[in-house]
Amino acid sequence: MAAVKVNELHKEDLPWIIEYDESKCIQCGKCTAVCSFGAISPAVEMRKKSGNINEKNTYEKTLVIKQNVGFENHCVGCGMCANVCPNGAIKAVRNFDDRYAIRYRAEKGESLKRGGRSNLNTEGRTLDKIKIGRISQMTDPSLDPVRHTFEIKTPFGRVLSADKLGFEVDGNKIMQTKPLPPNRWIYPIIFGDMSIGAISSRMWEAIAIATAYLNEKMGIPIRMGTGEGGVPVSLLKSRYLKYMILQIASGHFGWNRIVETMPEMIEDPAGILIKIGQGAKPGDGGLLLANKVSKYVQEIRGVPKADLMSPPTHQGLYSIEESVQKMFLSMNAAFNFRVPVAIKVAASVTSVAVYNNLLRDPYNIVGGFFIDGFAGGTGAAHEISLNHTGHPITSKLRDCYLAAVHQGRQGEIPLFAGGGLGQTGSFAADAFKLICLGANGVFTGRLLLQIAGCCGNDTEKCNACSTGNCPAGLTSQRECLTKRLDIDKVAENLVNFIVATDMELKKLMGPVGCSTLPIGRSDALITVDKHIARRLDIQYSI
Amino acid sequence: MERFKIETLKNENRMSTQELLQLIQAKIDEGYTDFEINGCGQHNIGGSSWARDRSKTLSFLVRNPGQRVGAMGMKGTRIIVEGSVPADTGWLNSGAEIIVKGDSGDTTAHCAASGEIYIGGRVGTRSGALMKHDPRFKIPEFWVLKNTGSYSFEFMGGGIAIVCGYECEEFDSVLGKGSCGGMVGGTIFVRGKVENLSHCVEILNLDEKDIEFLHSGLKRFLDKIGRSELFNKLTDFSEWHKIQTRAEAVKKRMPVAEFRQKEWISGGIFGDFITDDYAVYELAGTGDARCRIPQWDKKLCIGCDICVKNCPQNAIFSDEKVYHSEDNKCIGCGICAALCPRQAWKMVENNREITK
Amino acid sequence: MCRIGAIKSKKYLHPSIALKLMRSQQKGHDDSGFAFVMQDLGGIFEHHKDLPILSMAGTVEGARKAEDILMDLGFKRVLQWTPHITNKKGLKIDPLPNYVFEAVQYPKSHKYATQEEKEELLLDTALKIRKALEEDNSGYIYAFWPDTLVLKEIGSPKDIGTYFNLWEENSELCSKVITAQCRQNTNYDIVRYAAHPFFLEGYTVLANGENTFYERNKYYQMKLNRAYMGFESDSQCFLYTLHYLHKILKWPIQYYKHVITPLPIDKIEKRQDKDVLLRIKASLSHLEINGPNTILGVTPDYDLLCVCDSKKLRPVVIGQNEDMVVMTSEVTGINELLPDRDLSKDIYPAENETIIVKNDLTVERWQQ
Repeated sequence: MAAVKVNELHKEDLPWIIEYDESKCIQCGKCTAVCSFGAISPAVEMRKKSGNINEKNTYEKTLVIKQNVGFENHCVGCGMCANVCPNGAIKAVRNFDDRYAIRYRAEKGESLKRGGRSNLNTEGRTLDKIKIGRISQMTDPSLDPVRHTFEIKTPFGRVLSADKLGFEVDGNKIMQTKPLPPNRWIYPIIFGDMSIGAISSRMWEAIAIATAYLNEKMGIPIRMGTGEGGVPVSLLKSRYLKYMILQIASGHFGWNRIVETMPEMIEDPAGILIKIGQGAKPGDGGLLLANKVSKYVQEIRGVPKADLMSPPTHQGLYSIEESVQKMFLSMNAAFNFRVPVAIKVAASVTSVAVYNNLLRDPYNIVGGFFIDGFAGGTGAAHEISLNHTGHPITSKLRDCYLAAVHQGRQGEIPLFAGGGLGQTGSFAADAFKLICLGANGVFTGRLLLQIAGCCGNDTEKCNACSTGNCPAGLTSQRECLTKRLDIDKVAENLVNFIVATDMELKKLMGPVGCSTLPIGRSDALITVDKHIARRLDIQYSI
Repeated sequence: MERFKIETLKNENRMSTQELLQLIQAKIDEGYTDFEINGCGQHNIGGSSWARDRSKTLSFLVRNPGQRVGAMGMKGTRIIVEGSVPADTGWLNSGAEIIVKGDSGDTTAHCAASGEIYIGGRVGTRSGALMKHDPRFKIPEFWVLKNTGSYSFEFMGGGIAIVCGYECEEFDSVLGKGSCGGMVGGTIFVRGKVENLSHCVEILNLDEKDIEFLHSGLKRFLDKIGRSELFNKLTDFSEWHKIQTRAEAVKKRMPVAEFRQKEWISGGIFGDFITDDYAVYELAGTGDARCRIPQWDKKLCIGCDICVKNCPQNAIFSDEKVYHSEDNKCIGCGICAALCPRQAWKMVENNREITK
Repeated sequence: MCRIGAIKSKKYLHPSIALKLMRSQQKGHDDSGFAFVMQDLGGIFEHHKDLPILSMAGTVEGARKAEDILMDLGFKRVLQWTPHITNKKGLKIDPLPNYVFEAVQYPKSHKYATQEEKEELLLDTALKIRKALEEDNSGYIYAFWPDTLVLKEIGSPKDIGTYFNLWEENSELCSKVITAQCRQNTNYDIVRYAAHPFFLEGYTVLANGENTFYERNKYYQMKLNRAYMGFESDSQCFLYTLHYLHKILKWPIQYYKHVITPLPIDKIEKRQDKDVLLRIKASLSHLEINGPNTILGVTPDYDLLCVCDSKKLRPVVIGQNEDMVVMTSEVTGINELLPDRDLSKDIYPAENETIIVKNDLTVERWQQ
């Protein structure tokens, strides 16, 4: 037996400990087979044969399942072993006394990286402390989704104030006389920004299929943000491009192909999203670890198999004026000013300043302001960024909206909010509340993975998206894992989820007497928290 | 007893609804059954007044009543209104005959459950909403000479409504727009153009029984409202249809899988880069679904057969001291490698990327 | 539920007609008040149509303050009408000591001013008076505009009529356009400014309804124009939107519906004018209303206007004869005024209609 020393990694240091009941195990091998991390293996252990102290000890060998101890193959608590065990003989149990993070840093001299969301949001979410309290009773009727036509759509693209539309009146008719910035009416939910490479080919395609299906079969004009990992040319050339919001971030990955395909596009994309920052790791660039940079990812992004770290800012953009000119103007020009160009920033104390600058841009080329709160998800980030940087979405969205109200310019640059939506169960309620606080719409990414079978959560379960070993095949390029994902089932689930959310949005709109989106109707909200009431300027109720 | 007449307006003093209704009830208790009322917008005239002796018939001739004429009306009550009335005529009608010679406002016949309502003009929005039929009572009828406003017959559960579409040339639809939402029962007969109905109903042709009903009913209706001269005009039954709850279930939507196979980009959007048949691996599956694959080293093997005996999938075979694990049986559990006394079996990570 | 009425006539009418129009609709009354706006004035004002008329009520101090402001700015009183008060015991009314209705001459400085400059002056003056009256709660200004007279008071409509002697017809006070309501927006405090009809620069609006998008409307309107203020009632928003659309943007009145109750995108997409309608819907989304409403209005050229919410949740009916068109919540009011009219000409506006009554009493029905 090998000697055990203090200054080594031990099982007790790990965040998850495998609980194994030998008496229930039939040694079918499924648990070790399914573990994509190699965190458990079959092993031979010795068992004392006789209990008689007058005899010399004799031993026998027995086959057991044993937890592996290592930085690269430790258990992340995904729970797949328990899922496949026919007898309930094995499961991962959270180790509250783990020392993994400190040992990792001490051994590796590297910062910890992982996927998922901020794991330190322990004080309860603001959105959960807000309720919809302005109910139509007598003074005006509650509406009902069966009878009344509800319209759940929001403008996307720069909106000009009515006096700047340049309308001319001809008798009883108004004529539009000058070209106006592109503006489209879309569903107030956007599938957000998960790039090819960060998620598996099947997952990405499932979202694209669900998007197309919702538009074409369900009449729900939802849009999908592509993320910045390139876009397959077959999609760029298809009619479905019109549902895609193409993202450009600091890495500009895949844009050469997009540019090159432009003459062959039969539809304009739904929009362009310039990603400046992301809520999960604000001020930090994209991160794709080499494990996940598979051949097709290399090709589509134009890079070798290596850790891909995008810079935290767009090279060449060091002032907001330059950003507006270079990025917005160029992106507008690329599609001849027919496609809304929006910006996505991580929520920050500075968000209002950015928003004000964009509102005042005289060229009216900013078509949307996406703010991503600190509870947003990511495929990979330094844990220090995930847990300690960023700004909650709710107050910053509200600040931006009220800044626009203060100038009488609400709605001119549509606001979209994201970051941790649906985290505690009700996506529709979160979306509705943010809309009442001033959002034109919301975006979500992490939630889509959860709908698709993600076994992780926000209390350190799994969060191994960065490793390429996603046991559900969501964020892996390993064939054996990617193919665990049932693309049709995932797409169907995404469709169902949005259909259910649509229904739930109506169930919230009805009681407040709205048949169109209650953007900025903060009078519909109440809170039992004094500080929230004051900060968001909504009614304090006890 | 003779007819009892009530004037409700004297100089600037208007009799309130409560005063009027209490006066009527007092006079009924005195034995009066026939009333003539010159109203000034008082509500609920005629309906909720009743005689304890149920064999008596009450009749009301009313001018300028307010809302809810004949509301909660009972069998044996007959109300005739000269001219037009505001909303809620015949609300919760439980058996009265209510005749309005002119128009009637919004939500006419709302929740009517028995009796007959005859309107000699138009009716407003949401008329006929929640009409119903209790089989122990006579089926409610709701006759309208002209048209209804939008959103009529919402949540209708029973009864018969007849909308004659007279003098409706200027309208795109004699039932307005969005009517019949949430309708679960009952029948609407309608003459003329109809559009924009809720998807929960369908428009059908009349059968012989329908024509028979309309033929006799229209004569009765037109007599009641004093418009018998219209009988010929309204009895061209080719102009009529009936509306009932849609018989077939709502069409199920296309499965998303079918959408992918039939309408989505063929070969998938990653077809240029990878080959994917979209087959789904089971957890702890065999073949390419394995995370790890066993490799056997002849040099180390002593031929003890422990691996063969212990493989839970019976995937390992030996042939002339050559061992191999069958890909379509092996799940990559690693038991062979764990038990092999000479480490002749090794597990190799299956890191194959999804590719072409 | 509020009951509202608007009358447009070829002949001058005394406001008693408004009381009669509303009398049978009393179930909508709750003794919160009575208010009317008279436009296109006859009687003693008939020959002074160009002169601004101050309509206000207040304490002696308040009336003096207003007077001082007018005099300071150089306005000169030309004519005054004082209601004949009958203060019988037991009248349900909460009267103020002074009611001022006076026509004034523009200051000399504005002798050659353009129409626009004069309107600016009137608005500035009205806002100044309102501010001064609010300082010590000494009164209320309802209008300062030519050819317009506004009276609002708290109490029972019938008793208010008696108090101001409005039941008795006379030739002193009459007009061709009268709008009236017998109940305030009683959701909140009973304040005179919350009483319909609301008036601004020739536009009058009164509504029966509930503006569920009040907060959205209010926040947007507050920054649009200095005249959009008060917001004591959520229905003021309808007036400001009408004013903004018609006077500021100079859009045709038919577009009012496209602003307050825009069509669904699916419907717009099928129309030829979709580009314009989509832009309006996006740019003025904060002026959308989304509750039950019937809105009656008057434009500066004395057209009457009637629109409803897109679900048609509140009643309204329009009756007419050769001399008069009457719009009101319940047909009973029309039955009182025009018992012998042709019933088949009565109009029940649909949810997508805009009804406009022109000066020659032709009634236009515009489909949205």
